[in-house]
Amino acid sequence: MKNNILIIGGGPAGLEASAQLQRMGYNVILIEKSPKLGGHLAKWDRLFPDSVPADEVLGGLLRGTEGVKCFTDTDVRAINRLDKSYNVRLTNGITVLSDAVLVASGFDLFDAVKKEEYGYGIYDQVMTNADLEAYFKTGSDRRIENPGKIGFAHCVGSRDEKAGCRSCSKVCCATAVKQAIEMKQAFPKAEVYCFYMDLRLFGRHYEDIYLKAQKEYGVRFIRGRVAEVSENYDGTLLVKAEDTVAGKPLKVTLDLLVLMAGMRPSAAGKVIGDLLEMPAEEDGYFAVRSGIAAGQRSPIPGIFLAGAATGPKTLPETLADARAAAMEVDRYLTEIFPDAKNYKQLVKERW
Amino acid sequence: MVDFGFGLVPSSRINLDLFDKEKYDELLSIEPDARICMACGSCTAVCTAGKFVHTSLREAMEDIFNAKPDKALETLRACQLCGKCSMVCPRGINTRHLIMSITKVYSKK
Amino acid sequence: MTPLFFALAAQAADPEVIDRIPSGFSPFVLPFTIGVAFMFSWIGVGLIRLLAAIPKSDRIKFAKSLFIPKTALKNLKDLFCDCLFHTKIWQRKPLLGYMHSAIAFGWFMIIILGHIEVALFVPARLNVTRGGLFYPIFYRYFVWMNPGHTTLRGSFFFFLMDFFLLYILSGIALAIFKRFRSIVLGMRHTTKPSFADRVALYSLWLIFPLRLLAESFTADLSGGSFLTVPVNHFWHLIFGDKLWFMPTWWAYSICLGLFFAAMPFSRYMHILTEVLWILLRNAGVKPNHPRKGVAEAEIYACSSCGLCLDACPMNVQKKNLKFSSVYFIRFLRRHNEKKINDIAEKCLMCDKCHALCPVGVDAPSLRRAQRATVNNALPYDYSYLSTASGSTLAGETHATLGTVRGGTGASLCEASGGAERSEAVARPRVLPEATNKVLYFAGCMTHLTPRIIKSVEKVFNAAGVDYAFADRDGGICCGRPLMLAGKTEAAAAVIEANKKMIEKSGCDTLVLSCPICYKIFKEEYGLEGIKVVHYTQFINELIAAGKLNVQNKGERLVYHDPCELGRGCGVYFEPRAALGKVGNLVKASKEYDESICCGGSLGSLTLDTKDRSKISEASLDSLLANDPQTIVTACPLCLKTFSEAVAKTKKGDLNVSVKDFAEVLCP
Repeated sequence: MKNNILIIGGGPAGLEASAQLQRMGYNVILIEKSPKLGGHLAKWDRLFPDSVPADEVLGGLLRGTEGVKCFTDTDVRAINRLDKSYNVRLTNGITVLSDAVLVASGFDLFDAVKKEEYGYGIYDQVMTNADLEAYFKTGSDRRIENPGKIGFAHCVGSRDEKAGCRSCSKVCCATAVKQAIEMKQAFPKAEVYCFYMDLRLFGRHYEDIYLKAQKEYGVRFIRGRVAEVSENYDGTLLVKAEDTVAGKPLKVTLDLLVLMAGMRPSAAGKVIGDLLEMPAEEDGYFAVRSGIAAGQRSPIPGIFLAGAATGPKTLPETLADARAAAMEVDRYLTEIFPDAKNYKQLVKERW
Repeated sequence: MVDFGFGLVPSSRINLDLFDKEKYDELLSIEPDARICMACGSCTAVCTAGKFVHTSLREAMEDIFNAKPDKALETLRACQLCGKCSMVCPRGINTRHLIMSITKVYSKK
Repeated sequence: MTPLFFALAAQAADPEVIDRIPSGFSPFVLPFTIGVAFMFSWIGVGLIRLLAAIPKSDRIKFAKSLFIPKTALKNLKDLFCDCLFHTKIWQRKPLLGYMHSAIAFGWFMIIILGHIEVALFVPARLNVTRGGLFYPIFYRYFVWMNPGHTTLRGSFFFFLMDFFLLYILSGIALAIFKRFRSIVLGMRHTTKPSFADRVALYSLWLIFPLRLLAESFTADLSGGSFLTVPVNHFWHLIFGDKLWFMPTWWAYSICLGLFFAAMPFSRYMHILTEVLWILLRNAGVKPNHPRKGVAEAEIYACSSCGLCLDACPMNVQKKNLKFSSVYFIRFLRRHNEKKINDIAEKCLMCDKCHALCPVGVDAPSLRRAQRATVNNALPYDYSYLSTASGSTLAGETHATLGTVRGGTGASLCEASGGAERSEAVARPRVLPEATNKVLYFAGCMTHLTPRIIKSVEKVFNAAGVDYAFADRDGGICCGRPLMLAGKTEAAAAVIEANKKMIEKSGCDTLVLSCPICYKIFKEEYGLEGIKVVHYTQFINELIAAGKLNVQNKGERLVYHDPCELGRGCGVYFEPRAALGKVGNLVKASKEYDESICCGGSLGSLTLDTKDRSKISEASLDSLLANDPQTIVTACPLCLKTFSEAVAKTKKGDLNVSVKDFAEVLCP
């Protein structure tokens, strides 16, 4: 008999995990609350570090999910834990009896309106990284009209106790460098500034794009957090920061300010977590059995986690995490789950 | 040993050996937030006094760590305690009290 | 009433009362006499010391005030209302008010009536040498009623004495009950009594039951009324003819003696000091030191009632209760410098304890004075301000006045550097100097809440206000934060600089959007010929004058009173009047002068982020009491604090937005 596996969240993690589990022969049900699969990836134009088109990556992921029962526009209404399995009622009226549940609820982008001093939603010429990707995809945005000076503010909703977000979002530095290059490509005459606290470019080829941004595109990197933005009479922005390397306060007039909104725990994911009574840590991301040795197992037997639901991750990390989660599900369903007699003992030993 | 005389020239180098641990501990005892600055520069960027003269809490913290407390006092002299820095500090440092505490502790000779 | 008084006067000649003890003395009066004599000498010396310690000008001011009819009348009113009737407590917590007034007013009446009785029946005994100090207090012990000669007048006083004794006893019963279940009387927290407080407190509890016991034992000899006579019969029923009235009179006197002896060291010192404090306060004499001179009267006027504990926004955390005003004042009395300073620095200066204090003790000002003793001497250097305000600010006044997008908001103080100056000159200049009669000063904090600036400008433009924007690119701090931190001298320097700039602008109205700025501009700047208004007042006027058209969208709004605007400046009406025209104003559970500080106040020097967010949560809860859609406030700090609090709140289904006053009024 094929085990039912419910995967919650149709972003890269959910897609990759369902593809793997489907291949292993399980009966996979994937639900996604929005009308479209792909999560944030579907809204992105190109990906760092190599500027691969996001659609290409997403297309690959979607092809892998053939045979998976995908329900979009679907959320979880109720979850009952049975002896070992979960009885999950979905909003589309279907009830799934699932032997394992994989939560891949991902992240939300930080709502930049909350950092009021940056003026998102107040000043016309302030936008977010997501807005800029949408512009790259569609080629139109009322805010972008041959901008002469463009600024990127790193760490918006990251490393900020005031906004309730202590952690680093991991991906914004590389995204900012990528977007800075892309803006230079689009508007070669523009002057581009990146305001950063620390450039956290840790991955393979990340340093390459940093170097490229400096060397080939002349992007100016300023070590200092953007602290205040005001609007000039003509609608341009006056941005203030400290150039902490020079040790001097700095101001610059910009035509466009892009806020690098960071990753926040998914609000929809929190609802799922509450239904499952699955604990989150203080930072809002779900707790795992062991951060090092069992990063895909939740503290509850039979519930697995993948992707940014357990903290900020880059896309390749998310995909690797999803594959690991698939392996964990398989191990559970073959080693622990079938032994009804010793189930509790096995959970104690091996979960 | 031959003395080449280089030691006689005053060094512009920061000398961490001169760091006054006792005073710093005294500062910490009245304002523990003195530990948690991550040098983002937000305080300096928004500083009301900084518009007129060089004023920087970030730099003052740096000066204290670099055993130059007099320079720190100098950097904070112009502060008007308006509190903008405490509004923008991403670490939620009680900047106004930190500034007053630095002045209190380090202007005692 | 007339026939009664007539009757009273007519009977004055009859020998109704006979001096039972010819010497007019009994040893049991000693404890009371010693206690009360000690207390009076202590107070006498204290009063002389205090008057000697205050500056001569204040002494003269004080003496004069006593003879100014208006002040004297106010004194009389305040003495009766505050000291005896406790009307301020009545207004908020009737049961608690009843308790306090029963003890205070009842006791006062018993003392007065006792003296009147002595004056009427044995007038010779009022003489101090013949026992005037104690005789009226123990009157019932010393006299014997001539049974055949009871008169209406005598019964009238018997009735009154019993009536007020019962009144006090009801108050005492409530007081004892309050020790165990204070919440019934409307108090969530009560003060932890000190040792002297306990001695005085327990004596006070015993005094009146013992008086009832003593007077009821002697009621068949010296008379009584509806209370003491039946109780006397009751004792006779139980004990027969053997009543131990000597021990009870002794116990009564000892309790009184103990109470008065402990009084100078306990909270009950307020009973008499409050009188002095009210007189000083009404004379307009202000403390300039946290515990010397006038402040001494103020801190001893504190009754430790503990109402400030419930008022203090820090009470959301039990550990922070110790920073409330009542304890601050206790340590001021004890001269405990370290603790005084810690408490003084912690306070948010929201002024709620002052607003709700039944005695009107201004603890926040004392805290400010305490901060000044430490912080005023801290070095600072504002020499840059003289150049800034002289050449830059005023000098650029007309250089930067210019037409701007959608309005005439020009910048008065551009910046200091030469580069900026040339930028400014490059901009189109249309308006000459001083056509902008309205000057808008946003203040430091408002620059971090661009919503406010944007909305204010939108409102101004919609209403056709011809205004100049004093600090578009940042200005000088108003000085209130320095003042709050106790750096009074430094504050004077920034005030001077701003004043110069504003006076040179030629404006006739100064509009502030930050309550912190507003308070100090209004109170300390002394801007002659310039109307200083908060934007809530200004916008409300614009609406009233028909210059700003607003529509009621029916949105459920709740208004948060910023501390500095509400309690600080008494502006409660205008923001509500204006908001009532654009939405449906719902109530917060605590509002007006009881509004809870948002937690973001600049007043506190040492409160950390975590403790502040607890206060924000409590304040938010109060605002959400009636399920509003939008929280409206009129202060950049409150706006920012509530925005963050709403974003961080753990309530999953919380669907409320936080908006600025001008934002809601924006057409």
